[in-house]
Amino acid sequence: MRPLASLFKGWFLIRRDLSSSRRLFLSAVSFVLPLALWCLVSYVDWIWHPDIKLQLSSEREGNSTVFTAGDHISPGYYQEMVVATRAENTRLLASTPPPKSSKRANQKLLRQLAPVAISHDWLPYTEAQNDAAIYHLWRDIATGTKIPTDPALTPENLDIVKKNWAQLAPLTADFSLASLPETPLLKLIPQGLPANPVYLPAPHEVWRSGWRDFKAVPPEGELSMTQRYQHSLRVILLGFFWACVVGVPIGILCGVFDFFSKLFEPFVDFFRYMPAPTFSTLLVAVLLAGDAPKIALVFIGTVFQMILVVSKTTRLLDPSLLEAAQTLGASPKQMLTRVVIPGILPNLYNDLRILLGWAWTWLVIAELIGVKSGLTEFIETQGRFRNFDRVFPVIILIGVTGFVTDQILSWLHGIIFPWTGRGNPIAQTFIRFLFWPFRQISKLSDRAGTPT
Amino acid sequence: MAAALQLPSYLDQSPEVAARFERLRQRPVALEVSGLTKTFETTRGTVTALSDVSFSVHKREFMCVIGPSGCGKSTLARVLAGLEAPTSGDVRVYGQPVSGPGPDRGMVFQSYTLFPWQTVKQNVMFGPLMAGASRNSAESEARQWIELVGLTKFENAYPQQLSGGMKQRVAIARALANQPRVLFMDEPFGALDAQTRCQMQSHLLDIWKNVDITIVFITHDLDEAVFLSDRILVLDPHPGRVREMIEVPVPRPRHNDQLFEPSFMAVRKHIDNLIHPPGQEHHKESPVLRLVARDPDIV
Ligand SMILES: Nc1ncnc2c1ncn2[C@@H]1O[C@H](COP(=O)(O)OP(=O)(O)OP(=O)(O)O)[C@@H](O)[C@H]1O
Ligand SMILES: [Mg+2]
Repeated sequence: MRPLASLFKGWFLIRRDLSSSRRLFLSAVSFVLPLALWCLVSYVDWIWHPDIKLQLSSEREGNSTVFTAGDHISPGYYQEMVVATRAENTRLLASTPPPKSSKRANQKLLRQLAPVAISHDWLPYTEAQNDAAIYHLWRDIATGTKIPTDPALTPENLDIVKKNWAQLAPLTADFSLASLPETPLLKLIPQGLPANPVYLPAPHEVWRSGWRDFKAVPPEGELSMTQRYQHSLRVILLGFFWACVVGVPIGILCGVFDFFSKLFEPFVDFFRYMPAPTFSTLLVAVLLAGDAPKIALVFIGTVFQMILVVSKTTRLLDPSLLEAAQTLGASPKQMLTRVVIPGILPNLYNDLRILLGWAWTWLVIAELIGVKSGLTEFIETQGRFRNFDRVFPVIILIGVTGFVTDQILSWLHGIIFPWTGRGNPIAQTFIRFLFWPFRQISKLSDRAGTPT
Repeated sequence: MAAALQLPSYLDQSPEVAARFERLRQRPVALEVSGLTKTFETTRGTVTALSDVSFSVHKREFMCVIGPSGCGKSTLARVLAGLEAPTSGDVRVYGQPVSGPGPDRGMVFQSYTLFPWQTVKQNVMFGPLMAGASRNSAESEARQWIELVGLTKFENAYPQQLSGGMKQRVAIARALANQPRVLFMDEPFGALDAQTRCQMQSHLLDIWKNVDITIVFITHDLDEAVFLSDRILVLDPHPGRVREMIEVPVPRPRHNDQLFEPSFMAVRKHIDNLIHPPGQEHHKESPVLRLVARDPDIV
């Protein structure tokens, strides 16, 4: 009894750290929880599922709106479709002599089974109009050689398949438009399952689409997903790099010298309130198409914040350290290089980490200006076609990239700046190893500089 | 009990002590402060932290500055070190006027002010490196000072990994590595516990004995002042001015037993009276706070 009770104790202590195992547990839960919620909403029908997702569609007489398998429709409209299609079939069976139909209409009707074949991988999704294969599929399903399972055909539809095949089989074994019957075949009744709206695809759909998109070999002239990803990374890293090159030195100067602070900061403070995207047209006009305006946008979005953040960090350095250095005989230049810079480095590193996170926001906007590019272009295009199952993998990829980078950088912080944490022997060995060449060089230069 | 407390006058000096003070006075003047005034302009008007402070310290002397909180002790140390410019008056170190911080005057702060990104050894090497010494010579010099303060085992530790007393020893080694001629210490042991503070005091005296240095030590602890110093400068508050310069009649070498010697007690009592004048302590009872009935044993 007692150990079980202690399991529930002490989770809520004001401003106290939990034990490391509990922390790890909660960190895992923080990811599992939203994922579980997503699964729940996706896979438990009665929770939401306001739409019907068609697995099998049919065209109706006198109705110009065409729905295909995969489309979402309202349950009411679905019922209407089913009832109307059944009525058409009944009318067809009842009428004697049977009405005339075009062979072309029958060819179209045969293609009703294509989505079933594709979802079973009996057909690649580019082959939805491969009539020869589809014709054989009718035969195989009618004779029971192939049994569709996902989606399975309703008994009603299976019956229709058999009836149709009974008509087709005597005419021709292989597909030929000329040999199709003159009388209409029976229509398959629409089939569908309750589903969430298109903008909330289920996890497995997202996973499947993502997997397919990343493995796919793109058509000539288009970028593969990996290339898009690399392109996005390049834009953000270059933009951020230039922001650092400009922002860090100016920020430090502003933090150290009141002169630079008063010279730069008022304008920077003003400039950062002008949203970077408002410069996009200007940037494209000046820098033309290509990556330059995109990199410039990330740069503009980041650099002004960076100057202010870095100067604030610099100002936060304990001034008594500077006084101590002065009493030890450090010159102003030495104070800057030997005290200010090493002193702010750990905080500066963290600032840059946070700013890199912000840079991702600018990246998304940057990729939309001028010639659209990178991951964002993909999101844009697919989103327009409402292929949200293909959009989500990319969004998640960006999230994962940012998160993982940040975690790695945060872990490295302890290694690069061993004095900020408790002494970690592994980290210290690592850093000693890492800086070995620099130490050797500095030793050599010292030796060279020593008068003999 | 009362009979045992018949203390001698704090001015009584044994012949040996008197002779030593005479010899000290013959030494060259290491630090000369004359007419030092320091005022701060604040939003609430001008604050006079120091007013017309004059004194001098001889070579290798150990002087303490004592006074109540806010009397300008820290300000004095900062002006002497050159971190603040005096409003008027001047400070000379071996005849040279002080115009800014410099390596000839070391400073040890209460807050340690070690560079957290450097190891103990690197911290101590800082001064010599700034002065242009090569890494090798700075390193061997640093080792020597680290050994003097007894931290050889910790030379590669970061300040964060050290206790308060160890940090302050590093700060002392760092200041000494510069070989300053005068060392200012602003309540260096203020944040340490009583035990450690006691050890550090003896340790500091040992260092002072072995190193050619003049020390101006700021404190608000009476025992510390009397135990360490040759002379004690007592400051008055608001504005800070010299109340009295006292020669400590306790013979050297000092050791902890002397804390109960009559001469020690006499000086201590005298300074106590200067800082907390008798009759000004308030013995008023606080009736509002008396929440329990009177207890004859708890008074
Ligand atoms: N930078 C400053 N600006 C304005 N007033 C100051 C400044 N520094 C010190 N003062 C004032 O000068 C007086 C002396 O301050 P100081 O810090 O020297 O006292 P202290 O004797 O060191 O006190 P403590 O024993 O508490 O450390 C105080 O009244 C303080 O308010
Ligand atoms: Mg003070």
